Amino acid sequence: MSAAAGLALLFGVMAVGAWLAAALDRAALALAAGRRPAAAMLVAPWRQGAIHLLRQRIRTERPDAMNGLLAPACYLLLAAAGMSVVPFAPGLVVADLDAGIVLWGACEALTVVVVFLHGWSANAPLPLIGGYRYVAIGLPAMLLSMFVLIAAALPAQSLSVSAIVESQASVWNAVRQPPGLVLFLMLGLSLTLRGPFDYADAADLAGGTSAEASGPAQAAWQVARLAMLVSVSAMTAAVFLGGYHGPWLPGPAWMLLKMIVVLAVLAAATHMFARLPPARMLTLLWTLLLPLSFLVLALVGAEVLLWS
Amino acid sequence: MELKDLAFLALAAAAAWTGWRVFRTDSMVRASFALMLSFIAVGAIMLLLAAPYIGIATVFMMAVEMMVMALFMVMFMMNPAGLNPMRMVHQNGLAAAAGAGTFAALTAAILLSDLPADPVDPARPVIHDLGIELLGKSMLIFETAGITLLATMVGAVILSSRSGRYGPADDGALPPPLTPGGRPAGGLPEDGP
Amino acid sequence: MAVTGASWLAASAPAPVYPAVGADGLAAVEALSLHPAVSLQASPRHASLLLVCGRIREADRPALRRLHDQLPHPRATLWWRTEPVPGFPAASCVGDDRADAVRAVWRRLATGALGSEADLLPDEPPAPWRGKGDHGQGGEGMTGGKPYGRPMAMTDEDCRDGLALDAYTARLGPFLPILPPGLRLELTIQGDAIQSARVPSPPYPQAGSDDPLRCIARLLPLLGLAGLAERFRRAAQGRAPDLGAPDLGALGRALRRSGALYAIPPGLGGFAGEDLRARLRRWWAQAEGADLRAPPGEGCLADLLPGLEWSEAMLVANSFEPEILMRLCRAGPGDGDGS
Repeated sequence: MSAAAGLALLFGVMAVGAWLAAALDRAALALAAGRRPAAAMLVAPWRQGAIHLLRQRIRTERPDAMNGLLAPACYLLLAAAGMSVVPFAPGLVVADLDAGIVLWGACEALTVVVVFLHGWSANAPLPLIGGYRYVAIGLPAMLLSMFVLIAAALPAQSLSVSAIVESQASVWNAVRQPPGLVLFLMLGLSLTLRGPFDYADAADLAGGTSAEASGPAQAAWQVARLAMLVSVSAMTAAVFLGGYHGPWLPGPAWMLLKMIVVLAVLAAATHMFARLPPARMLTLLWTLLLPLSFLVLALVGAEVLLWS
Repeated sequence: MELKDLAFLALAAAAAWTGWRVFRTDSMVRASFALMLSFIAVGAIMLLLAAPYIGIATVFMMAVEMMVMALFMVMFMMNPAGLNPMRMVHQNGLAAAAGAGTFAALTAAILLSDLPADPVDPARPVIHDLGIELLGKSMLIFETAGITLLATMVGAVILSSRSGRYGPADDGALPPPLTPGGRPAGGLPEDGP
Repeated sequence: MAVTGASWLAASAPAPVYPAVGADGLAAVEALSLHPAVSLQASPRHASLLLVCGRIREADRPALRRLHDQLPHPRATLWWRTEPVPGFPAASCVGDDRADAVRAVWRRLATGALGSEADLLPDEPPAPWRGKGDHGQGGEGMTGGKPYGRPMAMTDEDCRDGLALDAYTARLGPFLPILPPGLRLELTIQGDAIQSARVPSPPYPQAGSDDPLRCIARLLPLLGLAGLAERFRRAAQGRAPDLGAPDLGALGRALRRSGALYAIPPGLGGFAGEDLRARLRRWWAQAEGADLRAPPGEGCLADLLPGLEWSEAMLVANSFEPEILMRLCRAGPGDGDGS
């Protein structure tokens, strides 16, 4: 497909997805708080956006202005780049790279850089603490995802996401490696700074990296976070939930349906689970979750070797 | 002049310019990420050279490495943002001379040597070939290098950590006494060598 | 046209309020947080209304002025349960405990009917640049003096693992929502670990805020469980002496399922023989009706914090009932500003 049409589709899906993700997030918060989700939650993101756009943009003392502007912009671009390798139907992909999951890994690594820069640029203590705290957790969380993605690439015998989706025609990767799906969802929470993995924008840092961001800058950062959430759910649906495979409905419809399910799961996980203090989370990551991902990789490798 | 040649020139200029910015900026965090941008430009050049895996993996690794370097800048340097007007460079004359000399030598080497010019067939499975090479003929080199690096990192962390073998390392680790409550076996640091 | 459309949208949103809580004001603010027309913000940069609820100490008034100027335009100040502090712009709304009054002020502010309040303090650095030479470019050795009166960070000895990092001293103010209201802390941080702590002034006394469900609800947002905290606050709100207990079974299940007890490290914040987990369990038992009391003990908050990491320190600071915390802070290095 042509590049212009592909990019238009990409940004269209990201925009609508971001809106839906914001509404689902509010609905999940309402459910966790014991209230009932209301239809007004679909309008609420626009109201909040209007507040941000009408507010003054605060400038702290001696900020790193260039990085303060680049951080939300690059976050959005990384979300777009990550989603550009995801196929919505056989042949319907913006960038059909042979090393698609490596590009996704590069986007994850650059996301950690971008979040740190967002915290660094304000020249204030709480954002900086949020930034470097996130680096300590975000880097090992990224390693987790790399191993489960390699385990997903093994049955496909290719690093391209299109080939991985094709290899799930008979059985989904979520069935081949159920812990892999859980680990990848954890990474999704980490990349989008949510819930149990929200070490950057946390409430115990009074907003963390966003504590000094107000007005249009804050709106841009929140939109970029939601766009990254859409991108992560697209990748999860493609790599673990069979992508566009499914009966009756056309491929893109299945893809969108699966993306919405993953969005809902991530929104629910944001508000249901407690966040461990960083030292405890580090111990959990390195002593339990990383060995688990190695085990998953070994088991999938054994299965591919013995039964293919 | 094809699009690929233009892209190569633009990326090479970007890599050189961001590399120069590393040394001109006062902010150490900006210096780390300018270096990262330089490496990203080089990774993109590798994409042009039909090495997609190596190019993207370069970007991936350099992002992580420069992030850790920026973090170390913030942890240890007194002036990580360059907000204090102090001289952030040392021996810059000597370094500039060495850099210019190295640049001249490398340019001469590139221009005078006979580099290959055969393009890669687009249908060639380069990633597959790379994998076969890494885990076939070159496996010994890469695996031993990997294990050596890991052992070095683990050893460095153990050597620098405070918890020594018999007690806190900065107390001077002492072997246990031969009888309970007696003198440490092997003597104390104050006894001399 | 677009501006009026956006301002109409903004006016119909929940009012973004930053609460500055004084003496005996916490219960009113927690009741306000349950109202759908109001949304309490964690940072002053995300709020448009400064709500001052409860009497403010004389010594905290400069902090309140600085806080007021940190809110971005358009902004307004509301005063509950206290007289407006002199020097602030003519109060636009001095009512008590009414959420609809807050909403009315927000509507007028968002649509432009109410003008934004001007700055109280001049927008200049507190200490001018001091360095040798005409442009301050000189100085001893490598460095160029102390820009704006702030010495550069130097590495310092570490009490935890021997890794000597740059030390940074932060003064956390009296109106920070992650700390009990009125509590000032002066923390010296190296990396993320706190090397030393000082308590310049104790928190405000809070009447009617020691209900165990409310105490749990103050701890949960620090663990990322904002929704569950709101549920606990609503349960505490709905509880009256003559009514039966709220649906504690469902609350308890939600608390266990969230893993909050597992998330808290064991042995954290040990005081009077109880660590944080034990305190949380005791609060839950008290909420279910057990007649337990906080064990007696003497101590100092400033001694509990060193060696902890930031989020652990915030958990510890929020893990005491208001009276016990006041006792812990009074015993500390109290060269603070009194009340």
